[in-house]
Amino acid sequence: MIGLEHYIVVGTVLFVLGVLGIFLNRKNVIVILMAIELILLAVNINLVAFSSFLHDLTGQIFAMFVLTVAAGEAAIGLAILVIYFRGRGTIAVDSVDRLKG
Amino acid sequence: MEFAQSLRLILPEEILSIGGLVLLLAAAWLGDKASRAISIASVALLVAAAAVTVPTLSGGAMGPDTQAFLGQFRADAFAAYAKLLIYVSGAAALMIAPRFFEQFRAMRAEYPVLLVFAVLGTGIMVSAGDLMTLYIGLEMNSLAAYVLASFLRVDNRSAEAGLKYFVLGALASGILLYGMSLTYGFTGTTSFAGIHAALTGQLSTGALFGVILVLAGLAFKISAVPFHMWTPDVYEGAPTPVTMFFSTAPKVAAIALTMRVALEAFGNQADAWRQVVVFAALASIVVGALGAIGQSNIKRLLAYSSINNVGFILVGLATATQAGASAMLVYLAIYVMMSIGSFVAVLMLRDAESNQIESIASMAGLSRTRPLLGWCLLVMMLSLAGIPPLFGFWGKLVVFRAAVDADMIALATLAIVGSVISAYYYLMVCKTMFFDEPADQVKGASDWAHWALLLIATLFNSPLGYLLTGWFDNLAGKASAALFLAA
Amino acid sequence: MIQVLAFYLFATLAILSAVLVIMSRNPVHSVLWLILAFFNAAGLMVLAGAEFIAMLLVIVYVGAVAVLFLFVVMMLDIDFAELRAGFVRNFPLGMLIALVLLAELVFGIGAWRAGSIDLAPAGATEAAPMAASNIAAIGQVLYGKYLFLFESAGIILLVAMVGAIVLTHRDRKDTRPQNISKQNRRRPQDATVNMRPEIGEGVQL
Repeated sequence: MIGLEHYIVVGTVLFVLGVLGIFLNRKNVIVILMAIELILLAVNINLVAFSSFLHDLTGQIFAMFVLTVAAGEAAIGLAILVIYFRGRGTIAVDSVDRLKG
Repeated sequence: MEFAQSLRLILPEEILSIGGLVLLLAAAWLGDKASRAISIASVALLVAAAAVTVPTLSGGAMGPDTQAFLGQFRADAFAAYAKLLIYVSGAAALMIAPRFFEQFRAMRAEYPVLLVFAVLGTGIMVSAGDLMTLYIGLEMNSLAAYVLASFLRVDNRSAEAGLKYFVLGALASGILLYGMSLTYGFTGTTSFAGIHAALTGQLSTGALFGVILVLAGLAFKISAVPFHMWTPDVYEGAPTPVTMFFSTAPKVAAIALTMRVALEAFGNQADAWRQVVVFAALASIVVGALGAIGQSNIKRLLAYSSINNVGFILVGLATATQAGASAMLVYLAIYVMMSIGSFVAVLMLRDAESNQIESIASMAGLSRTRPLLGWCLLVMMLSLAGIPPLFGFWGKLVVFRAAVDADMIALATLAIVGSVISAYYYLMVCKTMFFDEPADQVKGASDWAHWALLLIATLFNSPLGYLLTGWFDNLAGKASAALFLAA
Repeated sequence: MIQVLAFYLFATLAILSAVLVIMSRNPVHSVLWLILAFFNAAGLMVLAGAEFIAMLLVIVYVGAVAVLFLFVVMMLDIDFAELRAGFVRNFPLGMLIALVLLAELVFGIGAWRAGSIDLAPAGATEAAPMAASNIAAIGQVLYGKYLFLFESAGIILLVAMVGAIVLTHRDRKDTRPQNISKQNRRRPQDATVNMRPEIGEGVQL
């Protein structure tokens, strides 16, 4: 039978994949943005699973807010990416080097 | 009745949000020509919000009467103290911006509007009584901040700073959220009071992960080591008024939020997080001090200085006592004034073509070419270093005293050693300004607003600041009492 | 039983497509895998009894965010020749994803009709009496208890919109926008003149 643990495992795997995607992916900023979306997806799965587990709607409301903010965040991130591209002509992370660090 | 009471408690937020919306319409209607007028109106909004916040602090409001919307929002003295600091920082960032952006012909009417919304978000953060309120406030501030960091479109460094800030900030939010989802799952509630009641005794592994991830996400936002690496790049690349804003308002809000989460929500588990905070505090002091050595850019140096200062503030948190919280609040106020002063001074360093000067070498001999600016910067640097006659020393003193009172003598000793190391690079800047051959590059006049802010900050950090100690102790005491009453 | 099978199907595909999102070399493929990952996550949420969030996930993500991503990928990708060739190369992948989605829909509806999975431990308190449906229950709470957060979330979306426009909007000098009020204000007498030129003289404009 499917229990809470199954859902949490899926959430954890997605979270780890998202974090991994940020650190492994050095080719393309846009994939990093997608990895961030994966992290937020993992959070949403967690919240919905806990909400179902606790018979409490708060988790689903929280998931809704996360979804809302994630949409806004994607818009801002892509806008920054666009102006970065206009200034540089590339979006490879390798070239994010004007600022050392 | 309950609803009307709630609406009354969120009055500062109502002023800022409605005012911000009106100004947004004005910005859309009047265009960029009106950006100065809109900036002035935004400062007026912050003053109005501060005016209605003052009674909350001076009255020492605390307890159930300060809870709005079923405890999701707290309008207590602690929130009021942090909000006043935030409003001061926001007003300063508004006042110095037009002159800076106009030299690039990049002043847009949306800058003050976005800044007002960022301030609104930080205000919601410090008033959070619920994980969801925390998240909403944090993201409102962050989204506006990402845009502000990349606001200077003519400068590639600005877009790059925005991109770095965005990627790492979004990662931090993700970590924080994952921690919050675990905390919710293992306590069954998102309200701080409920979490406080649920987290007693031995922590389950899941809840422990939740606590640690939440604190890690917050550490990112306050740029505490080991989550500090974005700070120098973002501080260097962002436009200087925005950098000043980043080093003050969101930092005050994130620290206040960390205090509320750690001391209230996770207050029963102080032993679980104390080791983490002690490590972050010491590591921030050391990394901030060592990283600053050898920096040639003054904005990068101030970024490391801010990491270093966060370390000292976290020493107060590690005590987990009311005296420690009160000391943190005093330190925060002094830190805000030091940040405002030093970034305004950096903003006034311009060459003959009125380009910004950021390299420390170009500041050589500043005391002879621009004596007043040189002396003001000297006061800032020595105050940041915590050299005794200046007010910066007081902040460090109260934090160390709280650590000693809490029997954390080893921590206090190590922090004092770190403070001596960090004095080195501040003194190097002073040496460059006062004893090196004048490079004679700093020219150009400055706005009266810059001078006014710089002189106020200098007076505040001069030994005259000690006249305010009683007043600050009183206010910080009221604020921390409100924090601990809830805990 | 069908719920268990559906759970494993959705979970496996969600994780698999997440792996492909971060491994794929072509960002267009990454976006497509992201869509698949979100679709499967929505399936998982339906199984857990959160239909409304699941539908939002599909609408907001697949409908808005993924399209935005695709748009930016297409806009930034400077290799236009490669892009044109992309249709043929991406076609099999696109068809595959479409087929998988179709099969999942059929399967998911079957699982949903069999009832959602109750994750609560046996013997836990019975679910609080909810309104007729998941959506109605969420509406009750969202517009009541969480009104303040709901309004604040609205401001966040406004900030995101203003921010995105401020950053990317350019005043282009070479465009000549239409000014309707100026057009409407224009009267025939301002625009035309009657002249009676003498023969052989022409007119001065």
